[in-house]
Amino acid sequence: MPEPIDIQLKKGVLGLCVLAVLARRENYAYEIASLLSGAIGMGEGTIYPLMRRMQTDGLVETYLVESSSGPSRKYYRLTPAGHQALKAQSDEWRGFARAVDALLEPIAEPAEPQPVNEA
Amino acid sequence: MTRTEFLTKLKAGLSDLPASAIADIVADYETHFADGAAAGRTEAEVAQALGDPERLARELRTEAGMKRWEDSKTPSSAVTAVFAVIGLGALDILVLLPIVMAIAGTLVGFFFGAVGAFIGGGALFAAGPFMGLPGGAAASLLGGLGLMAASVTVAALTAAVTIWFVNGIVWYARLHYRLLKPALNVQSA
Repeated sequence: MPEPIDIQLKKGVLGLCVLAVLARRENYAYEIASLLSGAIGMGEGTIYPLMRRMQTDGLVETYLVESSSGPSRKYYRLTPAGHQALKAQSDEWRGFARAVDALLEPIAEPAEPQPVNEA
Repeated sequence: MTRTEFLTKLKAGLSDLPASAIADIVADYETHFADGAAAGRTEAEVAQALGDPERLARELRTEAGMKRWEDSKTPSSAVTAVFAVIGLGALDILVLLPIVMAIAGTLVGFFFGAVGAFIGGGALFAAGPFMGLPGGAAASLLGGLGLMAASVTVAALTAAVTIWFVNGIVWYARLHYRLLKPALNVQSA
């Protein structure tokens, strides 16, 4: 079982990942799920509740594409609100990631605080 | 788990949704199985990757309940949304139930109080002038009207607070939405 920090991070960033995947290319759910489960190890089934929620929130919309084989396929694309959300959330993510990276770097000069004798 | 087993469990978990909504959702997962087969995966592999159908059904039902509440703010959709949220386990019942019960009880109390005051005001308005109350007929008429107006105000305020309260619950649930199965296991452990 993964560590809780892992789960919390993924949970928070899953919506952003879907927005990013759809910004590259309008896509259908199976492909989105495959991309994300490969990239961040998300359960494939969770894509459907998530897509419905994003649709409710007006971030994505669906359209049907006729398929030569079998029934027509449901594609997702970003709405203008979805593009805005992607912009805002990716800025936030980059700022956050930069801040964490900076903290993870070992400090160049040894500026160790002297231990203070506590009473 | 086979495709049929997965879809049966999913449908069972969604059974209180409208038939068209169930058909929509089931079609999504059927397509997923078909796409998986086309990519050379077995039914068992696809079902494994999809996760627990009962938990997915709970999340989908919650999503549907919240959408209904957002579309129409009726008492029944409020109840649906709150119960869907509780079913998801997104609210820590033991901690929140006393608070929720207290607030809901207060709101119900205010509402019935307002209804009672409205009826009382109506009675005072209609019967007061003939009962020889102190202040005379005019005082009864004006007092009755005033009481009715005040009770309508209280009822309207109660309705506004109730909508705000249910919105708050839905917002909280979304914040704690458990989209990843491990999250569910860790937090309930």
